[in-house]
Amino acid sequence: MSDTTQPLLKVRDLTITFGSRRHQLSAVAGISFDIYEGETLGLVGESGCGKSTTGRALMRIVEPSSGTIELEGIEITTKKGKDLRNLRTRMQMIFQDPISSLNPRRRVKDIVAEPLDCWKTVEGAEREALVDDLLSKVGIDPVAYGERYARQFSGGQCQRISIARSLAMRPKLLICDEMVSALDVSVQAQILNLLEDLKAEYGLTLLFIAHDLAVVKNVSDRVAVMYLGKICEIGPSDTLYESPEHPYTKFLLGAALEADPGSPVHGEVLSGEPPSPLNPPSGCRFRTRCPNATDKCANEEPQLVQIATGHQVACHYPLSTLTRK
Amino acid sequence: MSQKQKLLVVKDLATTFHTPSGPLAAVGGVSFELEQNETLGIVGESGSGKTVLSRTIMGLQPRANVEVRGSVLLNGFEVVGASEKEKRSIWGLEVAMIFQDPMTSLNPVMRVGKQIDEILRVRLGMDRPAAKAKAIELLDLVGIPSPAERYDVFPGELSGGMRQRVVIATALAGSPKLLMADEPTTGLDVTIQAQILNLLEELKERMKMSVVLVTHDLGVVATRTSRIIVMYAGRIVEMGSTRDVFYHHRMPYTRALLEGSPKVSNPSHTRLLAIPGRPPNLLNLPKGCSFAPRCSFATDRCHEERPELEAAGAPDHTFACWNPLPVKERASA
Repeated sequence: MSDTTQPLLKVRDLTITFGSRRHQLSAVAGISFDIYEGETLGLVGESGCGKSTTGRALMRIVEPSSGTIELEGIEITTKKGKDLRNLRTRMQMIFQDPISSLNPRRRVKDIVAEPLDCWKTVEGAEREALVDDLLSKVGIDPVAYGERYARQFSGGQCQRISIARSLAMRPKLLICDEMVSALDVSVQAQILNLLEDLKAEYGLTLLFIAHDLAVVKNVSDRVAVMYLGKICEIGPSDTLYESPEHPYTKFLLGAALEADPGSPVHGEVLSGEPPSPLNPPSGCRFRTRCPNATDKCANEEPQLVQIATGHQVACHYPLSTLTRK
Repeated sequence: MSQKQKLLVVKDLATTFHTPSGPLAAVGGVSFELEQNETLGIVGESGSGKTVLSRTIMGLQPRANVEVRGSVLLNGFEVVGASEKEKRSIWGLEVAMIFQDPMTSLNPVMRVGKQIDEILRVRLGMDRPAAKAKAIELLDLVGIPSPAERYDVFPGELSGGMRQRVVIATALAGSPKLLMADEPTTGLDVTIQAQILNLLEELKERMKMSVVLVTHDLGVVATRTSRIIVMYAGRIVEMGSTRDVFYHHRMPYTRALLEGSPKVSNPSHTRLLAIPGRPPNLLNLPKGCSFAPRCSFATDRCHEERPELEAAGAPDHTFACWNPLPVKERASA
C-alpha cells in the first residue's frame, strides 16, 4: 500500500455531468484517487454527493464526461465494444437492493452461472462444480437451494447470491455500492464478515461505497469523503476518523450515532442542507455551511494537498493548523 | 418514579393478523409502562413487531382481519376496543405519530401550511387567521427558515429533512402528551438525522411530552432515551434503562444486536459478532423461545418452553431467557 507500488485503479480528474447544455448538473466535479491492490477504499458522503455515480462511472455504466480511469495500467474511458466487455470481467459491482438486482424468475444456479455461460470459460461438469463451490463459499447450500428461484430468498440471502455471481469471473476489483444498507443488523454483520473472508480468499480489492460511517470504518483501509461532487478528504481510516482535517469530515463524524450511551452526544450539529449541485457555490463547495469560511474560501477553490503520509485534504484551513494558532 | 401518574400502560397486548395462511402473531403479549416526560426506545429488526406495536398503541389498526387483545391505557383512555369516533378525541390531542417517510405522510397537492391548519381548525376549533398564525408559529418552532413563506409551499418543494420537520409540526399542533415516532430519521442523511433528533429532544422538554422512539438503529436510541425495549418476533426480550440494556444485557439476542453493529470507535477490520440465520416466520413461531434456533446457548428447555420476562437485578430491568449471559460487574453507581 506504499506509494511505490503501482495502483490497481487510478482515477484522475474524473467529471460526470448530466443534463442538457442549459441545465448542467455536475454530479462528480473532478476527483482523483488511487486504489492499491488488496486494499479497501471506503467512499462516504451524504446523498447526492456523487459517490454512487463515481462507482457507476468506474464500471462505465454512466459515461464519464472527462478525466481518465486506469485499471491495471489500461485506460478504460475510451474502450468500446469487445474491449470494454473484456475489461468488465476484471471488475464487478454489487448494488444496494439485493432483491431487484436478481431476476426473480431465474434459478439461483443459473444466476450465478450467467457470467460463465456468457464467456464460456467453463462448461458441463466443471461449470456445475464451480457454481456449487461459489454458492457454498457465500453460505448458500447448493444442493438444497440451488434449484430455487431468486424470489424465494430473503434480502440477506439475495445479497449472498449477488456476491457469488460477482465472483464467478474472478474479478480483481469489486465495487460495493451501499451493499448492506438495506439489511438488518444481524444480517449485515453476516455479510460484512463474509465480505472480509472472501476478500482474503480471492485477493480482492474493494471500493466500498456507503453512507454509514461505522460500516465504512469497519471494512476500509483508507477512506475518501465526498461532498457535492468533490473529494474533500482522503486518508487512512484510523487517522481520518481520529483526527479529521476537513471541517466537513469532523461534522459528519460528529453526527454519526454510536451505539453506546456513554458516547458523547454530538455537540456541534451542522446546520442547513447541502446546496444544489445545479448551482454549486464558488470556491470551496462546503463554504456555505462551514464555520471557518473566509473570503479566500469563496474566491479560491482548495485543491487536495498532502498533509501527512497518505492523508490529503482539500481545505484552505485544515483543522490541525487552526488549533495550532 | 412510581408516584407519578403513568402516561401509558400497555398490558398483555397482542395483535394478530388473520391471513390466508393462518393467524400471524405480529405482537404477542407485550406489557410496559411509560412515565410522563420520558423517552422510551423500541428497537428491533424488521418484522420484530415494533411498528405494529406502535400502530396498535395509536389504535390505527384496521378492523378487518386484525385481532387486538389486551389493554392500552393512554392517560386513562382505553384504546383497545374504542370506536373510531372515540379515538378521534385523543388523536392529535393526547397522542400523535410521525412516520418514517415524510413524503407519504404529507398530502403532495396541499400546501404545507394548510395541512397544519387543518388540525388546528378541526381539532381545536380555531378560525382561519388564528390557525394560520399558529401554523406559522409551529413551522418556526420546528426550525424551518422563513416560516411565513414556507407556509405556502407544496411538500414536493421541500427536502426530506424539511418535510420531516413539517410532519413534526403537524404532530405537535394539538400539543399531544405522547409523541410516537416510528423510524423518524431513517432515510435521512446523518447530518440531517442529527438535526431532527436534536429537535425532537428539545421539543420534548419544551412541550413536556413523552416520546416513544421506534427504530432499528441502536445508535439512535443510545443517547436519546432513558429506557429501551428490545423486541424479537413480536415479543419483548429485554427491557430496562438504556445503560442496563447496553452495558448489562442478559439476553443473547441483545448482545447479538449490539456486537453485530459496526462502531465508529472500533479499529478497522473488527470482526463482528454475527448470529446465523434470520428472524423466524411469524406464521409458524417456534414452540419455545423464538430466538432459540439462532442462539448458541440454547438448550432443550429453550426449544420446549417459552421464557417469560424476569427481573435482572437492577430496578425495571427484565429479560426473557433461560440461559442468560452472566451478570457483568456493575460500576458503583
